[in-house]
Amino acid sequence: MALDPLSSTFAALADPTRRAILARLALGETSVMELAEPFDMSLPAISRHLKVLEHAGLISRSREAQWRPCRIAPVAFKQADGWLGNFRQFWDESFNRLDGLLEEMKAEEAAKAPPRTKRKVKATREKKSGRTRG
Amino acid sequence: MDARVDRKLKITTPSDLEFAMTRQFDAPRHLVFDAMTKPDLVVRWLGCAELAMPVCEIDLRVGGAYRFVFRSSEGIEHVLSGTYREVARPERVVFGETFAMPGFTSDEYLVTSIFVEADGKTTLTTTIKHPTREARDGHLNSGIEKGVEPAYDRLADVVATMG
Repeated sequence: MALDPLSSTFAALADPTRRAILARLALGETSVMELAEPFDMSLPAISRHLKVLEHAGLISRSREAQWRPCRIAPVAFKQADGWLGNFRQFWDESFNRLDGLLEEMKAEEAAKAPPRTKRKVKATREKKSGRTRG
Repeated sequence: MDARVDRKLKITTPSDLEFAMTRQFDAPRHLVFDAMTKPDLVVRWLGCAELAMPVCEIDLRVGGAYRFVFRSSEGIEHVLSGTYREVARPERVVFGETFAMPGFTSDEYLVTSIFVEADGKTTLTTTIKHPTREARDGHLNSGIEKGVEPAYDRLADVVATMG
């Protein structure tokens, strides 16, 4: 509890299981039972992870229902989101790699292309239809 | 050569059910289209450092299916799969997609990618339409697990400067 909010967020995210739990909860509210399923862990072990996430303000748990559904805490999570990266990071990283691949593809195409005088429309068409695969 | 290519990924929410990603590439659109639809090319860029991609199958024709499997270092699999609805190389591809991970399978959402070329550069706009707003928001947050590692390092720097 003595930890400042950023540090407890930090500590909560240090564990891969807790990150996986968050990734799952980002998709919607769920029960502890359902959460535990893919992890091959006991319910008490999962509950301990949930407690850490709850302390860090990353999730909230309903006290009303007996099955105590878990969900991402929207406000706290939004704060952390700026540091976390998210969906954007996946595509940013992918597209940055695609930039490199496209450079290679451009060079390859330039090397393959016949000299300008010999280039014919027909050749381009054949190549196109060959690649469309129906 | 004009070096002005805007490599920044822009994400917008054109409606309650949709979000759109826009990105520019310094290459003609037939190359960008191929890089996104040929499995031997897709495996070379899609994903991130924390995820392996053991399966990448694409049957690029209307009604054809595709399947991408990503596996985290903890062995957790994320599967993107779907069916092509429109295939118009090199300008447009539309598919219905489902995302699955242990304990969760999404409803199908519709993905439309449009490739616009100008001066040898391509602007790709991908619009993703979900059946509900909750599903869309969940999708936008779904990269948490993958995105957190590098961000953790940045966070460490932030903490250090905060004293």
